[in-house]
Amino acid sequence: MKFYKDHYDVIVIGGALAGLSSALMLADKGLDVLVLERHNLPGGLATSFVRGGVEIEATLHEMMSIGDRKNRLKVGKFFDDMGVDVDWLKVPECYHASLPGLEVTLHPGLKTFASEVDAVAPGSYEKVLKLLKLCDTVFNSVNELSIHPMSKVQMLLKHEAFVKTAGYSTKEVLDTFDLPQKALDLLAPYWMYVGSGFSELPFTIYSVLMADYVGYGSYIPKKLSHEMSLKMAERAEAMGVQIEYRQHVDRILVKDKKVYGVRTARGDEIHADYVICSAYPNKVYTSMIEPIEEVPPEAIRMVNGRRISLTAFSVIMILDRPAEELNIRDYSVFHGDTMDTDAIYADLAGLGPYHYLTCICHNYGNPGVTPEGTCSYSITVLPRADGWKTVKPEDYDRVKHEVARQVIDDMSEYLGVNLLDHVLEIVIETPMTIARYANAWNGCIYGYAHTMEDHIVARLQTAEAEKFIEGLEFSGAHQISGDGMGPAVTNGRKAAKNVLDDLRKKEAAQK
Amino acid sequence: MKIKGFLKDVGGASRVTKARLEQFAKASDQPVTVDPIAETAGEWHPGTLDLVVTEIRDASKTAKTIRLQRVDGKKLPFFYAGQFISLAFVIDGKVVCRPYSISSAPFEARLDPGFAEITVRRSKGDGWIADYINESLRVGDRLQGSMGLGQFYYEPLRDAKNVVALAGGVGITPFASMAKEIAHGTLDCDLTILYGSVNSDDIVLKEELEAIKCERVRVVNVLSGDEPDWTGEKGFLTAELIHRYSAGDTTYFICGPQAMYRFLRTELQKLNIPQRRIRFEVFGQAKDVASLPGYPVEKLGETYALTVVRGIQKDVIPARADESLVVACERAGIILLTDCRSGECGFCRTKVLSGEYFVSPENDGRRAADKDFNYVHACATYPLSDMTIKIPIV
Repeated sequence: MKFYKDHYDVIVIGGALAGLSSALMLADKGLDVLVLERHNLPGGLATSFVRGGVEIEATLHEMMSIGDRKNRLKVGKFFDDMGVDVDWLKVPECYHASLPGLEVTLHPGLKTFASEVDAVAPGSYEKVLKLLKLCDTVFNSVNELSIHPMSKVQMLLKHEAFVKTAGYSTKEVLDTFDLPQKALDLLAPYWMYVGSGFSELPFTIYSVLMADYVGYGSYIPKKLSHEMSLKMAERAEAMGVQIEYRQHVDRILVKDKKVYGVRTARGDEIHADYVICSAYPNKVYTSMIEPIEEVPPEAIRMVNGRRISLTAFSVIMILDRPAEELNIRDYSVFHGDTMDTDAIYADLAGLGPYHYLTCICHNYGNPGVTPEGTCSYSITVLPRADGWKTVKPEDYDRVKHEVARQVIDDMSEYLGVNLLDHVLEIVIETPMTIARYANAWNGCIYGYAHTMEDHIVARLQTAEAEKFIEGLEFSGAHQISGDGMGPAVTNGRKAAKNVLDDLRKKEAAQK
Repeated sequence: MKIKGFLKDVGGASRVTKARLEQFAKASDQPVTVDPIAETAGEWHPGTLDLVVTEIRDASKTAKTIRLQRVDGKKLPFFYAGQFISLAFVIDGKVVCRPYSISSAPFEARLDPGFAEITVRRSKGDGWIADYINESLRVGDRLQGSMGLGQFYYEPLRDAKNVVALAGGVGITPFASMAKEIAHGTLDCDLTILYGSVNSDDIVLKEELEAIKCERVRVVNVLSGDEPDWTGEKGFLTAELIHRYSAGDTTYFICGPQAMYRFLRTELQKLNIPQRRIRFEVFGQAKDVASLPGYPVEKLGETYALTVVRGIQKDVIPARADESLVVACERAGIILLTDCRSGECGFCRTKVLSGEYFVSPENDGRRAADKDFNYVHACATYPLSDMTIKIPIV
């Protein structure tokens, strides 16, 4: 029996957003692509599951870079161009920030946001707007430069703000604005979506984060993220991509520093000119390349020299009352006793108690997502793997429940309602859950930490030099654009673009 | 614009690139292969296990308990009392999967050597695997399985401390596991098992349950048959009986045959129990597809051509209208692995490329987008015309 062709142009390991984006883009250019996904459905963490008859969003809080139909941002436009017709719903607010003595709901639109901040930090409007506009300028530069690279002099002339802020952390730039504490607190919450404290986070990343989310709002698919993932997979298949589920790739086959195929756990050896891999470089360079001697020491130094970013802990509940009856009033709430991002980051190394919680009630963005009279409510912490690495298998269930109880108790106290009296269904997702389903290194969902030593600008400049095996591309949160579902698409497209560029180069050389 | 001064500002890109290279230069070139989080996840969910039958004993006149251990002698994975194991039997060269609630306790899986037990009742002619287990399975036989699966277990953040289990027939097995775990001190709840049987001979795991009884575990046998010597509870698991054995805030766990579920839904309704306090185990495939609401009975007796696509391979096999797509594949020797076989878990998620089909509305655990794109859970889907499906390569 023969399940695979003798040869493919490209094998994509992992059928999550990044891998499917690669596949779509390559199939669009007529390449013969095979996607191997170890789970039995597409999407990776962009998925859903059914519990007690209710379909539950597994991980997605909100998608950035979509934009409305008339004014699409890059991810939204890519979906449109590829014919991936997702039924997008706009999330009604940016977030509700909840701090001791500070309860504010902020909405998208730079001016709207600035005036809402001004309402609690009087006199800050001009400064906040100036900051947001600076973010927007940097954001536009990043988008343009990712398509049209240019010389340093040209860059300085045309993209001054981007160039001049690139070398600074978020804290360094924010300090120059001399903002009141309350304004700073309200400008911090989104940090969780990039996962580094402000003294480490490149301002470039902060800019993209704020300009995208605050400027254009965020979106969710109506039939949960499985709708998005499945529509991508369906389009890819319609374009000729072969997708095989439940195929775990064990080995990437390399000869003379050049990739030539993969081997699956089932034992199939499949050949291709290129391999695009969603597995972490840590895993690939230490145990997937065959023979392992093909991995140069620089590749090991690179993975050892980078810091693995955040993993996730989430309690998802279906509650037996409508949200408003439980005092749940917003789509997303960032709740903490401080907005000092560096202090929160330090806290995330442990196993709790965690004090910075992200709470999502999908019903406010997607009415009808749960049956009448019920609501969905999730509480998420994005811890570092450090603490969870110490949890022994025999203690895992106890620790998982202790942490879940702590975050539920905290939010129950905040809401003035004992959430535990209303649980129809409860699911606790941990770093181990992510390791199990997505096979992510150390359960990490955020790739490598955005720091001044691992800066997106440096990532772009050294990308060529960090290719150690010809024909092997990576895609996923561990790549240049970093974490998040929007960036996953961008990372997947970048990997595909590298393949297409290389093919073009080879064709030109042949001529 | 100015942040800290022109030269420092414009030198940012070079500075961060230099910082990156320095960071890598001083990093170790020794590969780090350990991933403790994946290791812990693997202790709970190791995937497919190679198992060997190490003991077979009677659980009643008509049921047997099968003890399974790992071939490699390692411990079995952690699981929650009430969960099931999916076993893959190779019979006449064909692979057939079946889910069984684990009747042994989680702590027993972690003994050295650990074991898991299932308890299977001989069928009345419609369950050939049940009969195979009762008649043909021998100590020393090997098979593959994965555990612990399913959502039927006590969750302390959701369920009341007081649990009343309503069991029928071989549906006692998940509660036997819970009872042992409670008695062992590793599951923190109070359990009253109301176990309905026809006659005392039908009571499965009778002696074992008697032996477990303790302050936190009560076992009440309820006989519906006519048995003059019986001094215990008689009749069915009625609202009145259930109420009598409930104390305060109680979660009800229900496991048994489909007919019992229909009866109990009505009885529990009389007690005004909140929805979140009632938990039904999934009940497997319908024995009689014609009884499913909406099934087009005129199709009964039809056999269709089912094209099964795996990768670039295509095979055409017969498929009966009254049997699920999974059964068609199993009969033809095409491996289509299943876990719950109740339409719930989605492990056998399958793409329908063409053809008409019927999905049991009582077992439709599909995602909304899957319905839009003709994905089905093959264990709960019946062909109504010639069909083409795509399934994973095994």
